[in-house]
Amino acid sequence: MAKKKEGAVKSRKAATGRMEGPSGKKRRVAGRKKNVLITGVTGTVGSRLAEALYYDKNVGVIIGVALGAKPYYFNQFDTSRFRYKNLNILKQRDLTNLFLAGDFKEARINTVVHLAFLNRIVSGSREKKSFNMLNVEGTRNLLEKCIESGSVKKFIFKSSDVVYKIRPHNPIYLDENADLNFDTDVDPWIKDRVDADMICQSKLDNRKVNIVILRFSNIIGRMVSSQMNAFFDSPVNFRALGFNPLINLIHMEDVIQAIQLAIHKNVKGVFNIAGADTAPISTFAEINRSRMVSLPEPLLKPANTLLRALGLTRYYYSVDADRLKYSVLLDTRKAQKMLGFRPRSHVYFERGVA
Amino acid sequence: MKQKARQRVRAILKMLAPEDYERLEELKINDLGFGYDPFGLELESAMLAYIAGKIVYKSWFRVESHGVENVPLAGPVLITPNHSGVLPIDAMMIGVDVVAKMERPRAMRAVVDNFAGLFPFVNTACYRCGGIIGARRNFEELLKQGEMVMVFPEGHKGTGKKFSDRYRLRRFNVGFMELSLVHKAPIVPTAVIGAEEQYPYMFDLKPVARALNFPYLPITPLMALFGPLGMIPLPTKYTIYYGEPFHFYRDYPPDTVKDPEIIYGLVDTVKRRVQELIDAGLRERKGVFGFSLLPFKALLGRVGGEAPAGEEEDRKQIQERAGA
Repeated sequence: MAKKKEGAVKSRKAATGRMEGPSGKKRRVAGRKKNVLITGVTGTVGSRLAEALYYDKNVGVIIGVALGAKPYYFNQFDTSRFRYKNLNILKQRDLTNLFLAGDFKEARINTVVHLAFLNRIVSGSREKKSFNMLNVEGTRNLLEKCIESGSVKKFIFKSSDVVYKIRPHNPIYLDENADLNFDTDVDPWIKDRVDADMICQSKLDNRKVNIVILRFSNIIGRMVSSQMNAFFDSPVNFRALGFNPLINLIHMEDVIQAIQLAIHKNVKGVFNIAGADTAPISTFAEINRSRMVSLPEPLLKPANTLLRALGLTRYYYSVDADRLKYSVLLDTRKAQKMLGFRPRSHVYFERGVA
Repeated sequence: MKQKARQRVRAILKMLAPEDYERLEELKINDLGFGYDPFGLELESAMLAYIAGKIVYKSWFRVESHGVENVPLAGPVLITPNHSGVLPIDAMMIGVDVVAKMERPRAMRAVVDNFAGLFPFVNTACYRCGGIIGARRNFEELLKQGEMVMVFPEGHKGTGKKFSDRYRLRRFNVGFMELSLVHKAPIVPTAVIGAEEQYPYMFDLKPVARALNFPYLPITPLMALFGPLGMIPLPTKYTIYYGEPFHFYRDYPPDTVKDPEIIYGLVDTVKRRVQELIDAGLRERKGVFGFSLLPFKALLGRVGGEAPAGEEEDRKQIQERAGA
């Protein structure tokens, strides 16, 4: 046992020794540096995260992965610290090549942040299937590759509060152990998220990789493809007559803060992450100065379908049917305690500040 | 409520009921920054509900209360009254009473049955006025915040009681006792006299209730006779008795929750005390409507008709008088 312990210390010293530095203290800091792979780096969260990590002193190399050519805004980054890869994580061969590539090995990637998720609402069954393949199978493939690699020590998955089952008698704060939405008739948009979350959860006790699942409340910000963002962007908001649930909105800066904390802190498990602003949905509509019309519940779906057909909204009612009636607030005590997460920013709308 | 509407509500209340407004201003809520607490309570909505409730409290049910000094002025506390009367008007009257009579008014947080959350308007009204849907976690959260929580240990079985079962307590749920021990909250046994006669409940339309997700759908003679007008409760005289608080947590550590036998014993102690308060209240009251119906009953008896269904005590008294 003693020999084993010694060995562990030696190897740790060897690892820190790789990073050169005049003092032992500096070496330790350098040893803690995270080299991060971000999937879905071209998305709003991905690009903001890449930028934040680029200026983070405790982060070494960043590899950004997404489908398509390298966007112009990554050209400002030094290629010795940030590298972009165009690949499809759904394809096994692409994934294998990524993990075998010289870049990946040279960068000593030890942390993977999985943000690649298709958020667009689709109607055709073929499209639904392909989205499911990327969202669910892509997550599974990536996670398995990370575990196989041996070098990846942390896998962070960005999930959301849509995975929770919404009921009128839910407690006001849902903790990480609250029931997930396994309903068979649930919209595929939610189903994909629940399935991907479950895949990550099923590997939580893995000893090689610390898996962190971050379940965010509604993200509000420019160009963010979230349901509530689409809701407040619409010229007219419909809500269920007689209901005015409390919702929580989270600012993009707090999303980035939470992911950075998850990267640096020695944690694993599921964490709820909520923002600083909680109020009834009508209050946010008032701040946003948007027109809010209350309709009896059976009329909400046809009204939303009409607005979508006219191209006036990106909001998709079927996903949020229960959310427009019952409050869903996240219990963030675990994240506060273990991650040290505290929301710092208030959301702002185009037409007003919360 | 919009900001302007809030200001208007406050201005109107200040003008129409300055004394009440002054008391209501003393209420504190755990404001999240937009005028709502995490459970959706909004002070201005609660103020409006209080004023509306106070009118009913004073003019319709002519509520009297005794022992309000037994309710602690601060810290977590559980109020455990008997429940009755088809609609939870008793909860409303207790809520108004504690704000009106306590030395320092406190907001009453009533634990509401799950089914209330399903219905439009009821859901929102319940949350805005301080109600919470009966999830255990909500209950715990409120006690942690040091709130005064009203819980009806009989549950909806209490409001669904038939007229013939009035003032007979149903089985008490035990959850409140566990939370009281864990969160060191005193329990104030409370009795409400008068609510059990406000809707004389004849029978339950169970199939319709099931279809509508209601726990019961009571039909009263007044509803049968007057239709929707029969929904107006009878103007019975309410009397509320607050007993001395139980501090079980002083003798029983939180671990006691693992011993169901002790918990059931403690719950029985509370139940017995509530029943005692009810019995004492029934003995003291002058009549269902606050005055004696004896002359009318005696008159009916003389012409050969049966005395109207009322309290057993009244009937006994009539018999005693007849015997004398």
